[in-house]
Amino acid sequence: MNTFSQMENLILKLKEEIIEVLNLEDTKPEDINENDNLFGDGLGLDSIDALELIVLMEKNYGIKIKDPAQGKEIFKSIKILAEYIAAKRTK
Amino acid sequence: MKNKIYILSAAHISAQTPLREDWMKNPILYNEEYVRAIEPNYKEHFSALEARRYGQLLKRALLVSRKAMETSGITNLDAIITGTGLGCIENTEFFLKDLTFNGEELLKPTHFINSTHNTISSLVAIDTKCNGYNSTYTHKGISFECALQDAFMQLNNRKINTALISGHDEMTPDYFAILKKTGYLDFSEQGFAGETAVAMILGTEKTANTLCKIEKVETLYTIDFEYINSVTEKFAKPDYIFTGINGQSENDNRYFDVCEKIFPKVPLLQYKNLFGESYTAPALGIYAAANCLQKGNIPVHFLIQGKSANCKSEPTKILFYNNFEGKNHSLILLSIC
Repeated sequence: MNTFSQMENLILKLKEEIIEVLNLEDTKPEDINENDNLFGDGLGLDSIDALELIVLMEKNYGIKIKDPAQGKEIFKSIKILAEYIAAKRTK
Repeated sequence: MKNKIYILSAAHISAQTPLREDWMKNPILYNEEYVRAIEPNYKEHFSALEARRYGQLLKRALLVSRKAMETSGITNLDAIITGTGLGCIENTEFFLKDLTFNGEELLKPTHFINSTHNTISSLVAIDTKCNGYNSTYTHKGISFECALQDAFMQLNNRKINTALISGHDEMTPDYFAILKKTGYLDFSEQGFAGETAVAMILGTEKTANTLCKIEKVETLYTIDFEYINSVTEKFAKPDYIFTGINGQSENDNRYFDVCEKIFPKVPLLQYKNLFGESYTAPALGIYAAANCLQKGNIPVHFLIQGKSANCKSEPTKILFYNNFEGKNHSLILLSIC
């Protein structure tokens, strides 16, 4: 599988995980644009969702986010999040 | 001079058709031991983004609170007082399972936030924009009556003019299994374990949809001979006594015994045969009694064989009597207004 397909698969998997962990009823992976903002005017997530995402990152990908400022950058969009996971994942 | 206190409105989600009084004419009857509440379509009331963080109990609590406020016409509440025996037990279970299976690490914050008992009262306060008195009573089978008594005293003493009181409990499959295994609940012959979500608006000014007047509220730990003798002086003779009989003979005999002593020959009624047993089932009983008074009608399915003779067609006074395992008694006298 080439790098492009791997990234596409990771983005799809992330969308499914976010829908499940944040209980986004009636939202399908295709409803989420990978470049949209996760917080604010995009998907409309908030600070508690950010905590849920931090738990998800550690549990599913072995990535610990310790610096809140770093989290702000990483959680900008699904695409940025996927790129970060691809680079840092330990599982 | 004390205030007059009314139940201005009430709404329920339970084993009966939610948010309606269909149970008066067309009740749903059950043969199961365990019945979950019938859920309304929450999508009509909450956006997906809003509802995603609420467990079932919180959705029920918010919806019945909104409905009760809408019916009463009250937009500014002075107090929100909640009774709950178990709190948000479903989220508590999620949280405990997370603790167990994840080695006490990587716990989901939403489950933690929603696992406290006072989440219900605080969420209703945020939703109704009520910054006033906010309290939660967790006292097993008398939780709702404690909330009612708190509101009643504050209304009586003119500290507040309106209050939203509520009783909420869910029964998860795991919790039901534990209660059954320990022998605490046994509905093998009749009765069932149910769930409760009831909100009532109390106020000192009667409005067009007012259900009934609350004459008196008393709670006590044990009932002794002296108290039994004083009941007839404290409480006017009711037309009916709403009791918490639930099909378990040990429980039911306690009611028959006390009622025979306090008001012999007054017809007894039941409500748990329609709504089921839960810690805050008394909220459903008071909701049912209040509706019977307002509509001037006692549905036939509330009658108890051999205990409901001499029924008066249109009730004017109903005594609600509850106890929890023979202790924690509550007596609430309701009347037409």
